[in-house]
Amino acid sequence: MATSPSAHAGEHADEHGHADHRPSPYDPRRWLFSTNHKDIGTMYLIFAIIAGLVGGAMSGLLRWELAEPGLQVFNGQSVLGIVFGNEHNYNVIMSAHGLIMIFFMVMPALIGGFGNWFVPLMIGAPDMAFPRMNNISFWLLPVALSLAVLSMIVPGGSMGTGFGGGWTLYAPLSTSPQLHGGPSMDLLILSIHVAGISSILGSINFIVTIFNMRAPGMTLHRMPLFVWSILVTVWLLLLSLPVLAGAITMLLTDRNFGTNFFNAAGGGDPAMFQHLFWFFGHPEVYVLILPGFGIISQIVSTFSRKPVFGYLGMAYAMVSIGVIGFIVWAHHMYTTGMGLELEAYFVAATMIIAVPTGIKIFSWIATMWGGSIDLKVPMLWAIGFIFLFTLGGVTGVVLANSGIDTVLHDTYYVVAHFHYTMSLGATFAVFAGFYYWLPKMSGLKYSGFLGGLHFWLMFVGVNAVFFPQHFLGLQGMPRRYADYPAGFAHWNLISSYGYVITAVGVLVFLAMLLDMFVLRRRKLNAAENASPWGEGATTLEWTLSSPPPFHQFSELPVIAEEKHH
Amino acid sequence: MTAPASPKRRNRMALTASICVGVVVAMLALALNAAPLYAAFCKVTGYGGATQTATKAPGKVLDRTIEVRFDANVPPDTPLEFRASQLSETLRIGETGLAFFTVKNTSDKPVTAVASYNVTPHTTGIYFQKLQCFCFNDTVFQPGQTAQLPVIYFVDPEIVENRDTRSVRTITLSYTYYQKDGG
Repeated sequence: MATSPSAHAGEHADEHGHADHRPSPYDPRRWLFSTNHKDIGTMYLIFAIIAGLVGGAMSGLLRWELAEPGLQVFNGQSVLGIVFGNEHNYNVIMSAHGLIMIFFMVMPALIGGFGNWFVPLMIGAPDMAFPRMNNISFWLLPVALSLAVLSMIVPGGSMGTGFGGGWTLYAPLSTSPQLHGGPSMDLLILSIHVAGISSILGSINFIVTIFNMRAPGMTLHRMPLFVWSILVTVWLLLLSLPVLAGAITMLLTDRNFGTNFFNAAGGGDPAMFQHLFWFFGHPEVYVLILPGFGIISQIVSTFSRKPVFGYLGMAYAMVSIGVIGFIVWAHHMYTTGMGLELEAYFVAATMIIAVPTGIKIFSWIATMWGGSIDLKVPMLWAIGFIFLFTLGGVTGVVLANSGIDTVLHDTYYVVAHFHYTMSLGATFAVFAGFYYWLPKMSGLKYSGFLGGLHFWLMFVGVNAVFFPQHFLGLQGMPRRYADYPAGFAHWNLISSYGYVITAVGVLVFLAMLLDMFVLRRRKLNAAENASPWGEGATTLEWTLSSPPPFHQFSELPVIAEEKHH
Repeated sequence: MTAPASPKRRNRMALTASICVGVVVAMLALALNAAPLYAAFCKVTGYGGATQTATKAPGKVLDRTIEVRFDANVPPDTPLEFRASQLSETLRIGETGLAFFTVKNTSDKPVTAVASYNVTPHTTGIYFQKLQCFCFNDTVFQPGQTAQLPVIYFVDPEIVENRDTRSVRTITLSYTYYQKDGG
């Protein structure tokens, strides 16, 4: 190990009492006023798990409704009928599912959770650059989530409570005084504002940390790929979130202060909202997946016991995905009519993204090639990720063609595509990272059996949910309806069965956590305490004890020439 | 606790953070000024079928003819009847055409109306020139009033120079009349 001082930081933790002034976990001040990147990361992860369960339960309602033609749940008569009276409520749940999963599950888990925990550890920094700002970044999120949930239960408009216009919030539906005149949409706008401020503050924190607080010798080109992925991600957030903030501010003024930004009757243009939204929205989907790329690179390298194949190519593939991600947004808008040349440009630019993405997938496979592969739980999730993400990427190339997209726009084919990349890709990356770093974060061992069972149930379940949706989309089943003609019944039922399998997988996940933290609490033994995954794990966090000392690297590690990932 | 950062490093950190804040402010400013930027972009490029305004007819008239079709519509619950007085006109490219639209206020109150408009195919917007149009200004229609509204226009001969538009034989000019808020 070339990192001399930190190699015994674990032992130091015992000698230096001050390095481990870990306040009691039962003291609320430790969490409310926390400035410690590991505590804040833990809070982000717990928040993401809770939001994921809420968002996942919502998708259960959707699949329940869609299991058969007709209205099962959202019909005003079912058990849940008191709350979910009509199809509008289906759309409300569907919109909230999307927003919660994006803003309150995947982003907090990948960026706030793993980013906070491991970016400082991996670059040899004592903490984040602005620890107090880190605290406010986290605590804005529960506020934002509360506003989003509140938005679901206050009057939305003529159709009932809540906002039912989808996560894209398109005008004129979201500005219509008849359909969404109630306070629901305003609360949702406020919620996204608050979540956006949280993300922007977090992004500034990461950028300053990564650019200024790397340990001696940790040059940019020696940073672990996970740190690279976070760096690219937070730049995307910094450039795109203000545009979303501006766009939804205009929605707010259109709704409440008589402006006409998106109102054709007043000389505005609703298509402009789509441009602004997708200028944010497309980089946002890379925000959701890039940290996952970083995690998968670390895991594949660790469990193949080889350095990542083509390190620099991997880093700059992420940079180029980030850059190109800003100039392809209108491929979400082919059906708005934009002229052949413009469409041709957006088709070509979109397809070009397949090149750096292909480099990444190739390099992961090349890393495994000839490696000493150890199929531990994180590696299962990582390989599952590569499989599912590649499938989602292939359908993405199909949808990039404007001619095909004109047919498939707003069908279940699109739903299947983005769930393969996001719901399966990003979520599998979250679980991969979780199982990879959980022993490091907790100092405890988890049950490999339960972790593996969780993986196989989820893998079979999500494929059963989403693969049939390709067929439904190709047959022309549109998104965002609570009901459908009987011809679509067969694959919808299979899709809903898949949800049940996935839900059992989530229960196994909770059982795994219960077993690990409450029932057995098996500590890592001394030999494997610092690095339970063996010699393949070469990044700096594995040189520290598990769990790491409350404050680390008060003596900075020095990174030598040959070590870079 | 961690050692305090040196003043030099703190300056660097402040600089990095300031650049980040600058980026956020710049992007926010761009987004909030999207409306004029977008309008200017549409006007210059004819994006979305935005038509152009001309002050005089073009010098040359081509032998080739082009059909201009007319569409007129209002959103639901607008107290106006609005229709094109002719289905279409066929004229030579570069020739000045005159078309009429008929509007009737069906309510018992004056209605202030504002028109939005474009042409399809969208790519021809840059070549569709209006010399005079009722749509340039808001118009007040008295209760029960019926009015004939003129448009004087021509199709720019440049349309045959563009690879994308030279095969276009039919252009549809569409108007939507909105009731202005509070009118």
